[in-house]
Amino acid sequence: MSAQPRRNVVTNALAQIGEAGLFLLTLLAAVPRSLRHVRETVRQLWFVGAMSLTIIMVCGLFVGMVLGLQLYYVLSIFGGTAASGTVVAIAIYRELGPVVTALLFAGRAGTSVTAEIGLMRATDQLAAMEMMAVDPIAYVAVPRYLAGLIAMPLLCAVFCALGIFGGHLVGVTWLGIDNGTFWSNMTATVDVWKDVVNGILVKSLAFGAVVSLIAVYQGYTTPPTSEGVAYATTRTVVASSIAILALDFVLTAFLM
Amino acid sequence: MTTFAAPTEPLVRIRGLTTVLNGKTIFDALDLDIPRGKVTAIMGPSGTGKTTLLKHVTGQMRGDAGQVLVDGQDVPELSREKLFALREKIGYLFQNSALLTDFDVFENVAFPLRQHTQLPEVLIRNIVLTKLQAVGLRGAAGLMPAELSGGMARRVALARAIVFDPMLILYDEPFVGLDPIALSQVLKLIRTLNETLGITSVLVAHELEAIKQVADHVYLIANGKVVAQGDPKTIAEDGSPWTRQFFGGAIDGPVPFQYPADDYAQALGLAGARA
Repeated sequence: MSAQPRRNVVTNALAQIGEAGLFLLTLLAAVPRSLRHVRETVRQLWFVGAMSLTIIMVCGLFVGMVLGLQLYYVLSIFGGTAASGTVVAIAIYRELGPVVTALLFAGRAGTSVTAEIGLMRATDQLAAMEMMAVDPIAYVAVPRYLAGLIAMPLLCAVFCALGIFGGHLVGVTWLGIDNGTFWSNMTATVDVWKDVVNGILVKSLAFGAVVSLIAVYQGYTTPPTSEGVAYATTRTVVASSIAILALDFVLTAFLM
Repeated sequence: MTTFAAPTEPLVRIRGLTTVLNGKTIFDALDLDIPRGKVTAIMGPSGTGKTTLLKHVTGQMRGDAGQVLVDGQDVPELSREKLFALREKIGYLFQNSALLTDFDVFENVAFPLRQHTQLPEVLIRNIVLTKLQAVGLRGAAGLMPAELSGGMARRVALARAIVFDPMLILYDEPFVGLDPIALSQVLKLIRTLNETLGITSVLVAHELEAIKQVADHVYLIANGKVVAQGDPKTIAEDGSPWTRQFFGGAIDGPVPFQYPADDYAQALGLAGARA
């Protein structure tokens, strides 16, 4: 009796992953057709990217400030506050920047994409496009997917910049770490390719691809009911969060 | 406009259409013709597959057997490109209007033009305003769909459906939820479009009085087949059990009041007591 539900959960999860994979192939195949909808992609980039800037900037600043504060108190025990800049930068570039940006993006933009597409399905807008001979995959799904993919590294870069500024604000301006030491240690130890490019570009692009796929897929396949849209929105956050953290481990293992 | 069938042929010809959904037979070798340039009404009890029939005509659904020919083209056999090309010649009015909620009224009507043509902005503006004028809503061009009443939304959707001057318009329950004024406006529009542009129209509806004012021919569908057809003014006098129940509004008849279920007494646990 107990094995059956476990097997169903696993089978269902695998089926969902498989369907999402097939959906990704459909999206990629529709990319050439969606090139004529560049304006729609730019519009979506505004909604998922520019409109997420406030939350990304505020959170980046506070994450950096908390990091600066914690590091100051821990490192001061060993008289190593000079390393504060290095640790803030490496922690933010390698992990906190891409991961927290992706989690925030899933909560802010991913849910809105899922809810929007789900409501479009529930109100027959996607069917209306089909009837007007407009492919909704090329017009609705692909621009939102590409917008998420493009927006994520840019948002991550902003998050990292604000995070380091926050760490500097607390460590240097408020707690008195030497400004020159903070920056020189950071620039001496942070590697552009290994830390900055891997974090901002590689990880962010991977997270952007996964979160956008989950958001668009959940919206596109949601049952056309209010309950269906609500569940799909929740699933976007849950599945994205798990996928981001699991993928982060895999990427970190390969990029180290 | 390219036509693939002789002008005397019906615009839509359905032969032997059989559709089974979730084990329930929706259409059982259905035969039906939609003549060109006429207004044809499809009527029938709820759940008989009237909207499903429209989905077959537009290629949104495929039957299990049979042919659906639109303008001489076998719809289920068309490639996606050819199906989309055919749909550019078909207007579809959804029951809930299905306006794009991100766009205002003007952009909703302009949407098909922007997607399928490279017309200059001035021409797009003139075409859209002409269509909005035809449905009496030129003054509402700047409103968002959320600001429209149900009747207004229906008329905007109609303006969008006719923006390409289609050969065929399919109306899915166009009269539902309309007040008498909006109902008269929509009826007048359907008739005017048919008479002035020669557009073939198919209406799925329940309202016999409205159908009498606008339709040239009525099909009554039940049990997966056409059970009656004819002139809307006389079809109610057909005398068959189907027409008597449907147009007379009898609670019981060929269409049972009760959805098929187990024995009632048994369901209430009274079977033993009765014995």
